[in-house]
Amino acid sequence: MLRYQQADAVATTALIEQLSPQLYRFFAAQLGNAEDASDMLQDAWLRIHRVRHTYRPGEPLLPWVYAIARCVRVDSYRKRHRIAVREIVVEALPEPAAASVEPNDLPPFDQLISNLPASQREVLTMLKVNGLSLEEVARATSSSVGSVKQKAHRAYQRLRASLASPKAGKGAT
Amino acid sequence: MTNDEMDKFVGSRPLPPLSADRLKQIEALVVADLKPVRPLAPAGVYLAAFAAIVIAGCLASWFYFTGQSGWEALSSLQKLLVFVPLVAIAVLLIFSVVRQMTPAARYTRTTALCAGCVFLLLLGLMTLILHPVHESAFVRTGLICLRNGMAFAIPVAFFSALVLLRGARLSPMLTGATAGGLAGLVGMAVLEIHCPNLNIYHILVWHVAVVLICVIAGAVFSSVTFRRPASNQ
Repeated sequence: MLRYQQADAVATTALIEQLSPQLYRFFAAQLGNAEDASDMLQDAWLRIHRVRHTYRPGEPLLPWVYAIARCVRVDSYRKRHRIAVREIVVEALPEPAAASVEPNDLPPFDQLISNLPASQREVLTMLKVNGLSLEEVARATSSSVGSVKQKAHRAYQRLRASLASPKAGKGAT
Repeated sequence: MTNDEMDKFVGSRPLPPLSADRLKQIEALVVADLKPVRPLAPAGVYLAAFAAIVIAGCLASWFYFTGQSGWEALSSLQKLLVFVPLVAIAVLLIFSVVRQMTPAARYTRTTALCAGCVFLLLLGLMTLILHPVHESAFVRTGLICLRNGMAFAIPVAFFSALVLLRGARLSPMLTGATAGGLAGLVGMAVLEIHCPNLNIYHILVWHVAVVLICVIAGAVFSSVTFRRPASNQ
C-alpha cells in the first residue's frame, strides 16, 4: 500500500490482483449478480484510488479497504433503487433459468441471505465469505465488536430458522 | 445446525469467478492515473487544526464586540453550566470530524451522537438556570443575534471545509452536518459570551438557530458538493 501511495505501478498491480478477488466476493455474495459485482469492484478501485492518501501507514489495511467498498455498495444500492423506482416495465421478460440445486439439498445461498437485513448480510459476508476478523469488520463498518457479534449471531439465528423451515428460501424475494 | 456447520455452509458458497479482462481493465484505469501522494498527517495534526480554528473564531469576537456583556451577566454557576458543555460538545465534534476524514475510523457516528446528546443536555440546563423575560422586540433583537452568530460561524465553516477537503468524505452528509455543527457552536459560544439578553426564549430560538442552520446548511452543502461521482464505465 505504501508503494501504491508512492506510485509504484508493479506494487499497485500486485495489490489490485491480491485484493480484487476478496472485494469481488464481498460484492457478489451480497448481490448474487456477477455483472453488478464487477462494476462495483471497478467503482471501489476508483474510489480507493481517489482517497489512497487517507490510508495512514501502520493502520490495518483491510478495514480501510472494506469501509470504502461498503460505501460503494451503499451508493450502488441507492442508485439501483432510484433507477428501479423510475423504470417503466414495457413488456414481460422471459423467466430466468431455474437456479442450480445445491448438492446438499439446501436452498440456494442467495435466497437464504436475501432474507437477512442488509446490515446482517453485510457482516455475515465480511466475516464468513471474506474471512475478516471481528475487529476488522467493526472498523470497516464504523461500529463496535459487540455490535458485529450481535449482528452475526442474529443472522445465524435467521439462517437456522430458514433452513429448519420446510419451505426454506422458496418464498424469498 | 451447529455454528461450525453454519460456518462451512456459508463459507463454502461458490461464487462466479472474476473475469481476467475486467481485472486488467481496472488495473489499467488505476495505473494510468498513478501519481505519488502524501499520506494523511497524524490525527493529532487535524485535531490541533480544528481546535485552532474554533479558538480563533471565539477570539476574533473580542475584536468585533466591545465587551463581554453576556459573560458578565451570567453568574459563576451559570457560566460553568453553559460553557463546560459547550467546550465538551466542541471537543466531541472535533474528534468526530477528524475521525470521519479516514475510512474505517471508529466511533465517528457515536462521537457525533454524543455531541448531540450533550447539546440537548445543555439546552435542558439552560432552561433550568435561565428564565423567561418579557421582550418588546423579540424578533428584531433575535435577528441581530442570528446575524452576529452566523458572522462567526461562516468563517469557521469555511476553514473547517478547507481542512476537510484533505479527508476521504465517505459520508458527506454526516461530515457536513458535524462540521456545520462545530461552526454553529462557535457562533453560539460567541453569542453566549457577548449577548447580554438572558431571556431563555431568546436563547432557545435565536442562539440555537445558529447551530441548527449551520448543521442543516453543512449537511446539504456537503452532500451536494461532495456527491460521489458516478463510475467511469
